[in-house]
Amino acid sequence: MGGSRDPQTVAALRLAASFLACLMAGAGERGAQAAAGTAPFDSAGRHIIEPFLAAHCLECHGAKEPAAGVRLDDVPFEVNTVETAERWQKVLNVLNSGEMPPEERPRPDDAAKAEVLAVLSRAMVTARAVIGDAGRVSLVRRLNRREYRHTLRDLLGIDIDAAAVDTSGLPDDTGTAAFDTIGSGLFMSSDQFEQYLTIGRAAIEAAASDWPRPGDLQPEQKSGRREVETDAQKKIAGLLNGYFLTGYRKAKEWEASGGKPASEFGFPDEHEARFRIQQYENHGPYLERFLALPHSDAGAYLMYTTNNYHDSELIAVPANSPPGDYVLRVRIGATPEATPLRRFLEWGMQPSKGDDEKSDFRSLGTFHVTGTIEEPQTIEIPVRVTAHGPRTWRVREKRFNDGKADGFRNGLAKAANGVGLDHALWIDWVEWEGPLPRSSPSPICSQVFDGLAKKASEEVLAKTILRRFGTLAFRGATPSPEFLDRLVAVYRAKRQMGAPPIEAIREPMAVILASPGFLYLADPTAERGDATADEPSAVGTESRRLSARELATRLSYFLWSAPPDEELLALAAADTLSKPDVLATQVDRLLADARSHDFAAGFVHQWLGLDRLDFFRFDHELFPDFDEATRAAAKHEVYETFHTLVSGNVDTRNLLQSDFVVVNGLMAAYYGLDDGGSPVIGDEFRIVKLPPESPRGGLLGMAAILAMGSNGERTSPVERGAWVLRKLINDPPPPAPPNIPQLTRLEGQQITSRERLRMHQEQAQCAQCHRMIDPIGLGLENFDAAGRWRTEEHFYGRGWVVEGKLAGKVVRKSWPIDPSGALYGGPSFGDFFQLRTEIAARHSDGFVRGLIESLYSYALGRPVSFADGETVDGLLAAAKRDGYHLRDILHAIVATPEFQTK
Amino acid sequence: MTNLPATRRTILKAAGSMLTLPFLPSLGWRRAAAASPVIPPKRMVFLGFGWGVTNETWFPDRKATGRDYPLPAGLEPLERHKARFSVIQGLSNRFTTEAHWGSTFWLTGANRYGEPGKSFSNSISADQVAAGAFGAATRFASLQLGTLDAANSGHGPGLSLAWDSRGRPLAALDTPVAVFHRLFSGESQSLEERQTLLAAQQSVLDAVRADAARVRKGLSTADTDKLDEYLQSIRDIEVRLAKEKEWLTVPKPQPAGEIREPAEKIAGHDEIKVMYDLLAAALQTDSTRVITYRQPVGALLTGLGINVAPHDMSHYQPGERMQASQKRDAKQSELLAGLFDRLASIREADGSSLLDHTTVVYGSNIRSIHYLDNCPTLVAGGGAAIRLGEHIVLPDHTPLANLWLTLLQGSGVNVQSHGDSTGSLDALVA
Repeated sequence: MGGSRDPQTVAALRLAASFLACLMAGAGERGAQAAAGTAPFDSAGRHIIEPFLAAHCLECHGAKEPAAGVRLDDVPFEVNTVETAERWQKVLNVLNSGEMPPEERPRPDDAAKAEVLAVLSRAMVTARAVIGDAGRVSLVRRLNRREYRHTLRDLLGIDIDAAAVDTSGLPDDTGTAAFDTIGSGLFMSSDQFEQYLTIGRAAIEAAASDWPRPGDLQPEQKSGRREVETDAQKKIAGLLNGYFLTGYRKAKEWEASGGKPASEFGFPDEHEARFRIQQYENHGPYLERFLALPHSDAGAYLMYTTNNYHDSELIAVPANSPPGDYVLRVRIGATPEATPLRRFLEWGMQPSKGDDEKSDFRSLGTFHVTGTIEEPQTIEIPVRVTAHGPRTWRVREKRFNDGKADGFRNGLAKAANGVGLDHALWIDWVEWEGPLPRSSPSPICSQVFDGLAKKASEEVLAKTILRRFGTLAFRGATPSPEFLDRLVAVYRAKRQMGAPPIEAIREPMAVILASPGFLYLADPTAERGDATADEPSAVGTESRRLSARELATRLSYFLWSAPPDEELLALAAADTLSKPDVLATQVDRLLADARSHDFAAGFVHQWLGLDRLDFFRFDHELFPDFDEATRAAAKHEVYETFHTLVSGNVDTRNLLQSDFVVVNGLMAAYYGLDDGGSPVIGDEFRIVKLPPESPRGGLLGMAAILAMGSNGERTSPVERGAWVLRKLINDPPPPAPPNIPQLTRLEGQQITSRERLRMHQEQAQCAQCHRMIDPIGLGLENFDAAGRWRTEEHFYGRGWVVEGKLAGKVVRKSWPIDPSGALYGGPSFGDFFQLRTEIAARHSDGFVRGLIESLYSYALGRPVSFADGETVDGLLAAAKRDGYHLRDILHAIVATPEFQTK
Repeated sequence: MTNLPATRRTILKAAGSMLTLPFLPSLGWRRAAAASPVIPPKRMVFLGFGWGVTNETWFPDRKATGRDYPLPAGLEPLERHKARFSVIQGLSNRFTTEAHWGSTFWLTGANRYGEPGKSFSNSISADQVAAGAFGAATRFASLQLGTLDAANSGHGPGLSLAWDSRGRPLAALDTPVAVFHRLFSGESQSLEERQTLLAAQQSVLDAVRADAARVRKGLSTADTDKLDEYLQSIRDIEVRLAKEKEWLTVPKPQPAGEIREPAEKIAGHDEIKVMYDLLAAALQTDSTRVITYRQPVGALLTGLGINVAPHDMSHYQPGERMQASQKRDAKQSELLAGLFDRLASIREADGSSLLDHTTVVYGSNIRSIHYLDNCPTLVAGGGAAIRLGEHIVLPDHTPLANLWLTLLQGSGVNVQSHGDSTGSLDALVA
C-alpha cells in the first residue's frame, strides 16, 4: 500500500475512463438527436473560426506531429458530445487566459480575437444546453422548501416560520437548477429525511394545540393593555437622573475641587470622572427633551438610538395564555417632525434570550403610520400563539438592523441641533387580545377528528385517524393497508413508551409527513378500482397523460405553490378537471385566491434572480432609508407588479415600460411619488399612475432591480447590463469565465464609472462581451446603488468625526452623469428614457419569449427542451396575437398538451 | 494520558455483562482488535474556508521552494509549526467554473455537468472515501462540522464539505454545542429505553418503506430512480442504526480536562476555536477518525470588527477590502496554529503525538476573487507520510484530486482513483 501504482493499473484505469467518456458521449448524442438542427456553430460562426484556426493554430496543432498532442484540424463543428465540447472549451480557455498563441508567434488582431471568442463562448453555451438536454421528461419530484412550508400550512393550519420551527437543516433548493420546481435538482438524503421527521413533529405539536379534546370549550378570551408612558418615563427618567445626572454632578464637583483625587467622589479614577461628564453631554439633552416634550406624559415617543434607551415597545402575551389566534394592537401617531419616510412602524420577533437584542430583531413587516398624536390610529396585527412558539413581539421605528446606523444618524442630527434626531412616532398604548374564535379551523379538526366512532377500540380509532390524515396529506390518495398497519405499530411503540393517546398519535402523523406519498408529487395509485379518476393512462412508459388528480396537483403547485384544495380534488374525482372550460375556470379561481401571491413571489424571485439583492449590506451612511424593511418592500414591488398584471390580465410588456407603478405607502414614499396629488397611504400595493417625466414604470425603474445591480455602495453597470441582456433582451451573455485577470489598477483613483469600464475594451477577452454589456449598464447610471434617481456621480472619502468616533463619508469629487451610448449593433440612445424605449420597442418579443420559457419550465418542473421549440413558438405567437396579456399566457400554458402530460 | 485503554476496559466490561445479546460477534471482533499491539490509527481532517485567501500575501514566493522558504504574512502565525506542514501550489479542480463555490467540489473533483441531462451532479468526497475505510472501528464513521454562517461564507451548494457515494450532500453539526452533545453527552435513558427507542426508529423506517412501495407502483423507470434516492436514504439510516445498536452498551467517552459544554451563542473566532478543540477531543477519544469542517467566514469578519460583506472582501482591491482579506488570512492561520498546538500535544499510547498520525488539510476551491486555479492548499501531520516543512510547487493545473488520492493512499486506504485524478503525486511522497 502507499503512493505507488503499477503501470498496468493506470492503463486499465485510462481505458475505463475513456469507456466512460464514450458512454457519456453516447448519452449526449441522444440528447442532441432531440435537438436536430441546432448546431452550436452557425455557418457565420464557422466562417469566423476556420480562418482564425488556420492562421494562428494549425501550423503547430495540425495533423502532423501536433504540439503537445493537441490536434485542432479535426475538431467537429457539430458540438454534441461531452468530448467535443471539452476540446472546444480548452481552446476557449487558452485564448481567454492569453496562453495561446504563444508569445513568440504573431499576435492575432484584437478585433478578430474578440470575434472568435464571442462565437466560441456562445457556442459553448449552446453546446451545454444541447448536451444537457434531458428531453421532455418531467421527473417525479419532491416538494421543494417553499412548497413544503405551504403544504404544511394548508394541511395543519400552521405557518412553521411564524411558529419559529427550526427549518435550517433543509436545503433551500435554489441554485442547482433554474427553478426550485425542477425535479432533477431536488435531492434527498438521510439527514434530510430526519429533518422532515423532526420538523413534522414540531409542526404537528404546534398545530395540536387547537385540536379538540374531550369536553373542550373555547377558552375564555382575554386581553391586556399597557399604557406605555409609565414604563418609558420610568426608564428614561431613571437613566437621566441616575446614571447620567448623578455621575455628571459628582464629576463636576470633582472638577471644581481643584485637584482632589477622583476616588473621593466615588470614581475609580479621573478618566472615569471625565467620561461621565462626556456621557451626560452626549446623551443628557436627548433624554431631557424626551421628558420635556408634550404628550410624553400620555404616551411614549419611540427613540431612534439604541443603548439602553427605550427604543421599541414590547407586546407580550402572558406565558399562561392558551395557544390560538391573537391580535396585537398599537395605538400610534406620527409627530409633526416625521418626514414621509419616517412614518413606518416595523414589527418583529423578540429574540429568545441574550442581551444582543438589536441584531436579533427579526422583522416581520411594516405599517404605514397615518395618524397623529392628536388623532392616533390603531394598528392591528394578527398573530398565532403556539405552545412553544414566540409570545413576545416588538414594534419600533423602521430602521437598519445594524445598531451603528442608528448611532450614526442620531449623531448627524446631534451635530446639527445639539440634541439628537427628532422623534417621529408616538405610541399611546399597546395591547393583546385572544385567543379569538378560529375563523377557519384547520382541515384536521373537521376532516380527521370529527365523527369518530366512540366505541371503537383504541387501535382501530388510531388507524381511522391515520387513514383520514394520510388521505389529506397525500392529496386525496389513500394510504395502503400495509402502511397503515406500520403506522399503528409506530403508535403502539409510543404508547408502550408511556405516551398518552393524544401524544402518541402525533408520532405516526409526523411519519406520514416524512413519507414519499406526502413529500413526492407522484400519484400513480394504480391499485385502486376507480381507474377513471386515479389510474394514469399508460403506466410505466416515459410519457403519458396525467391522471385527473395529478393534473389537480400540478395546477395547484404551479399557481399556488400549495396543495390542491377540496374543490380541485372533487373535480379530479369526478374526472371533469381536464375539460378545457372547467380547467380555465379553475385557473381563474386559483389566480384570484390569495395563495397566488406565493406563486408570483416564488416564480418572479427566481426568474429575475432577485437573490442577488441579499448578497450585500447596503451602506447606511449613503442610503439611510434603504434598510432591510425597505429592501423587502422593494422586492415585493416586483412580485406585486407581476401579480397585478396577472390579475388584471394586462399586457406583459408593461414590465419593460409602463405609465404606472404598483406600490404601497412605503415604496411611494421611497420614490417620492403621490397618486395624482394625494399621498399613497397604507401597506397594500396598488396601481399608481405616474407623471410623464417619471423614470419609474417597468422593471428598469424598480429599486430592487437597480439595487441588485450594485454592491451596496457603488453601482455595477456590468451587473446591470448583463442582467438586462439575460432577462429583458433574452440574449444572455456567456457566464463570466474564471481566471480572467481582475482589473484592479485604477482602484482608489478618482475616475468615473465610464472611465473605469473603458478598460474592459482594452483586452479582446473582455471586449467580446463587455461591448454588449457596458453601454446598457452605463445607460442606467442615473440610478444610484439603492435605485434613487441622480444626475451626478460622486467619489467619496472619509469625512469628519462625530462624538469622537463616527467617521462619515463626504463627497470628494462629483461628475455629471452621461448615460448616452448605443446598443451593440443597434441604435444609439441619449438618456435612460430613450434606452428604455429602445429596449421595449425592439426586444419585447425576446422578453416575452424568455418569460414564457421560464413559466413553462417552472410549471412543468423541467428545463425547456429543444423539442419544446414548436410549443413555445406557438405560445409566443398566440400571446403576440392577443396583446401579450399575462393571464392569457398562463391559461395557454396550462392548456398545452405538455402541461397535461407526464 | 490516552483514553484508549479506558475505552477498551469499558468495552470488555460491557461485553462481559452482555453475553446474551445478539450483537456479540461485532463486539467480540472489537475485543480481538483491541487486544492486538497498539498501533495508533490514521486520521484525516479537512478544513475548508470558502472565500479563498489574499493572493499577494498568503502564498510563498513560487521561486523559493523546498525547506528554506520564508513564510508570507498570511501564514506567519504558523511559524512555530513550519516543520509540521507543507504548502502546495499548482493544484486546481479542472471542472470547477463556479466562482462562488469554494467547497462544493473541493473534495470531490466532480464535473457539475458530468451527467448528461442534469444541471448539477457531484460525487463522493475524499473524506467519505476515508470514512469508508476507517469508519467501522469508531462510534462515528465520520463527523461533519459546519456553521450557521455557511451561506455567508462562499462555500456554495452543499450542507457540509462531505458528499456521499452518490454525490448527495451530507449534513453537518452546525454549532459547537451540537458537536459537544453528539460526542460526549451521556445518555439520560437506561439501556432498555434506548433499545426501545432504536426499535421505534426502525419501525418508522419500516412504515415509510411500506408507503414507498405504494408510490413506486406505476412509476416510469426514470421516476423510479428518483424515488430510489429516498429509499437509499432510508437504507443509510438503517446502516447507522445498526451501528448505534452495536455501540449501545459502550458509554460515550468523557472529554479531557478543559473541554466543557460550549455556550449556545458563539460565532466567528471563538466558534472556530471551540470547534477546533472539539475536533481534537473527538480524535483523542477515538470517537471518529475522519472529520471535515466547513468554516464560517462572514461571522469571523464581523467578530474582527470588519464591516465589509464577505463576498465584497473576496473581491478585494487595494484598500479597506484587501486589509480585511489579509486580517482574515492571519486570523485563520492563528486559529490553525492553535489546532496544531493541540494535536501535537496529545500523546498516543506509543509516545508519539496525535498529529504524527493525522493528516490535516486546510484549503479552498477558490484562490481569491474569481480565481479557481492554484487553490490554496496546506497539508500538515504525519498521517499520510508526505513531505513536511516544505514549499512544493507542482505543475499548473495539477488535479486537486491527485492530492486527495495521494493522501488517501498514504493513509492506507486502498483506492486507485478519485474524482478526476490522473495519478498520485510522487513529488509529495516523503
